Amino acid sequence: MPVLKNIAAIAKGMSITFMEMFQPTIVENYPDGPGPLKGAKFQARFRGTHVLQRDENGLEKCVACFLCAANCPSNCIYIEAAENTAEQRVSGAERYAKIYNIDYNRCIFCGYCVEACPTDAITHGHGFEVATFNVSGLIYRKEQMLAPMPAHMGANAVFNQDEIGAGAPAVAVQGS
Amino acid sequence: MPDVNITVDGKKVAAPAGTLLIEACKNAGIEVPSFCYYPNLSLQGACRMCLVKVEKMPKLQTACTTVISEGMIVATNSDEIRQARKSMIEFLLGNHPLDCPVCDAGGECELQDMAFSYGAAESKYMEPKNHKEEQQWSPVVYFDRPRCILCYRCVRVCGEGMDVWALGVQNRGVSSIIAPNQDDHLECEECGMCIDICPVGALTSGAYRYKTRPWEMNHVGTTCTHCADGCKTTLGVRRADTGMEIVRGDNRDKSGINGDFLCIKGRYAFDFAHHKERLTQPLIRKDGRLTPSTWEEAFEVIGSRLTEVRDCDGGQAIGVLGSTRTTNEENYLLQKFARVVLQTNNIDHHRTADFPAFVSALTERPEAAASMRDVYNAPAILLIGNDPTEQHPLLAWQIRNNVRLHRARLYVINSQPIKLRRQATSFLQIPTGAEAQLSSFLAGQDSAIDALLSGPTSRDEWISLREKLRSEPGLVIIFGSEIRGSDVVSLVKSASGIHDVKFICLGDYANSRGAADMGVYPDLLPGYQRLADPGKFHEEWGGVPRAVGFTLPEMIESATAGKLKAWYVVGANPVGRLALDPFAFSQSFVVVQDMFLTETAVIADVVLPAANAYEKSGTFTNTCGDLQLVKKAGEVTGTKSDFEIIVRIAGSMGYDVRKLVPFGRGMTADMGQSRGAQSGEVDRHGVWLEASGLELKMSPFDPMAILDEIQRLLPGYAVSRMDLLAGNAQHTALPAGKAGALHDPKLIVPADNNLFSSGTLGRYSRTLNSVIENRHKKPEELEVAAD
Repeated sequence: MPVLKNIAAIAKGMSITFMEMFQPTIVENYPDGPGPLKGAKFQARFRGTHVLQRDENGLEKCVACFLCAANCPSNCIYIEAAENTAEQRVSGAERYAKIYNIDYNRCIFCGYCVEACPTDAITHGHGFEVATFNVSGLIYRKEQMLAPMPAHMGANAVFNQDEIGAGAPAVAVQGS
Repeated sequence: MPDVNITVDGKKVAAPAGTLLIEACKNAGIEVPSFCYYPNLSLQGACRMCLVKVEKMPKLQTACTTVISEGMIVATNSDEIRQARKSMIEFLLGNHPLDCPVCDAGGECELQDMAFSYGAAESKYMEPKNHKEEQQWSPVVYFDRPRCILCYRCVRVCGEGMDVWALGVQNRGVSSIIAPNQDDHLECEECGMCIDICPVGALTSGAYRYKTRPWEMNHVGTTCTHCADGCKTTLGVRRADTGMEIVRGDNRDKSGINGDFLCIKGRYAFDFAHHKERLTQPLIRKDGRLTPSTWEEAFEVIGSRLTEVRDCDGGQAIGVLGSTRTTNEENYLLQKFARVVLQTNNIDHHRTADFPAFVSALTERPEAAASMRDVYNAPAILLIGNDPTEQHPLLAWQIRNNVRLHRARLYVINSQPIKLRRQATSFLQIPTGAEAQLSSFLAGQDSAIDALLSGPTSRDEWISLREKLRSEPGLVIIFGSEIRGSDVVSLVKSASGIHDVKFICLGDYANSRGAADMGVYPDLLPGYQRLADPGKFHEEWGGVPRAVGFTLPEMIESATAGKLKAWYVVGANPVGRLALDPFAFSQSFVVVQDMFLTETAVIADVVLPAANAYEKSGTFTNTCGDLQLVKKAGEVTGTKSDFEIIVRIAGSMGYDVRKLVPFGRGMTADMGQSRGAQSGEVDRHGVWLEASGLELKMSPFDPMAILDEIQRLLPGYAVSRMDLLAGNAQHTALPAGKAGALHDPKLIVPADNNLFSSGTLGRYSRTLNSVIENRHKKPEELEVAAD
């Protein structure tokens, strides 16, 4: 009886539909969800926009070795290196990246730069809302990618005590 | 020497007796790794990387110190050898910091390469590494002690190669360290050879320090723009905001006439290109002030004024001053422009050597001009005048190495105790200014000897020297600008009896010889052809003005009298360098094209920002007559090459540029090598090319089109274009027949540059200045004994 067979098939199919109606929803409610991520959820391994990490002293980890740029298949990393001085210490090693640009027009988020980095300075963050109406805005500068100062640096920072005594404004001493 | 037969890894190899095993293997295509071995330096046997197994010898042998012998059976690649090499690397890495990411040598480090080939990245040695702070030994030399692997290459090249002996070894055994000669700093020629030869990143360059990494740069092999020796220098370029920036100079592939060698100027003094005072806009004098303007306006002003002067007052009212640093093509084009477009022979340049006299002395045997390579191979050398150590570093290097490696006999005759006397078989000092009498004496005029006798040398010694020189077949006679005019002729005559004698006349700037060869003279055409007999040039150019033009002093005289209405200066600073009265040209219309606002440029009515030799293509001829390619490496937005400027001025005067630059015929197999990095150049000229009814090609600005004409009209320049484009030096022949002239010796003004100065250009090099400042702080330097 083909008619009965068809009815049975429809009933079987609809039963799954009705069953699923009472299950909790797994679709992400982005961008209408709650919180700063607007409902987006990530696996820890998600490769988003890059973050340039700092070490425990708040110094940049990047030593401008250019290995990320050398490894980049889309050639989107531009670096200019400079030497740390006693007055201006930016990274933990002899040199630091004076300019570090990533061109997100070209970046394919492959993660090779992260793999190449000998100091774990460049990592993938979870940033993903990169779209823009202006392509020149897709070239991210170092300042846009740098991780914020570690939390303890705020409370435990050493200030320029000598100069404050002489009336200078308080500034946290680099590398403290 | 007879060949010795050996077997290496089962392969039969024959090499001359006395060859080192490592060299024999290399010639057979078998690589034996080594750190301390360096060709042409003394043997060290320090690194023990070149261990090989020689049959019947009990232990592994170092290939770099073993001389081959008949029937030797050698294995270079067995498990035992690989293990030995791996262990050696592990030793070397014992205290070597693993800071490759921040090390300047990273990417071109021999230790890195070896560790890749042989492993040993994991160390059994667990103790903390012994760290020492990096030291700065001079403005351009940094030393990182823990990175040093004690191969002693730097010590040897500084002592044996450079004869400076500024580096040495302190302590012994495991606590050996490389140390500079003066406490904590170097007092040396700052040539940077130690940095270049260092297999690791222990010695690094202060100028290149942390700027970029080797694989990030493009490498362009070109010819140095400083002294007249014409070393090949490889420039590392990176893109920058204002075009292409040169970040490093070295002799990376060691392929030029200079081989391993480069001096401080070739290695570091490229930084004038990005000096903050560099002109990037044409300046036109308006209401008495030089105001920035556009190229179009500048060309219009120059074109209309020059046309006006030429048509009203004739070509005699225009003077042209050429350059000793622009390319051959630009010099040729400039004198062609002067003669054909401006219709004047009033063209001269800053003469630093008497090349016309040299040519006229050698017209009967033009093959007797030596090349730079001949200096390295000659059995005997006579050096009269000049101080090559200071003024011709490559020549001095060739002489020293010839003496050291080939036991050549060097005879030095000078008014000063120059440093090369340390290599000399005999050194004779003469009173200052007695070079003229010297050449007469050598030519056989015994009465001239009295002028030479003020020193400790006796009459008999002089006569025996003359006899000795006459029995030196293959002698190369090198003379400086002290010998001029008829003295050159008598010097050449003095050597007429010597078999296979050759000569070198020393000029001072990168293309001094080129400017002379290209006829930047008021009375000589290209190839030193006399104006009275223009020959082929008359047909080719459709007429050459007949009247002999003004020399530079005559131009000044004419300008002071108000007769010289226009003066066109290309890449020269006569006001600064020749102490010329800046007000002499106050009544003339002066056009200067230069990189900077020099003393000459400030008196100009129009100043055009020119590109330097590292920013254009063409050829240079060094002082020996070796022709080499100049390739475009850097670029600064806003400047134009002198070649382009001359063509554009001719265009703005209504002259058909097709006649000036005969492009489209001749050899066109350029294949782009000559253009270096100049892609997109056609786009930049699109508007002008289109407006002038020309094809959208580089042709009217292509120096190779002029090189075609040069090669067609100058027999001596008809060298292989392929070899030239491949970056090899090509020796040009002197013209035969009626050529050259004897000029007033006073027209020659030597540049008197030393190792750290380079005319006006040197003033704008930060590195050279930092070295000079650093030296002035120190007490007077002492010469160090040879060993």
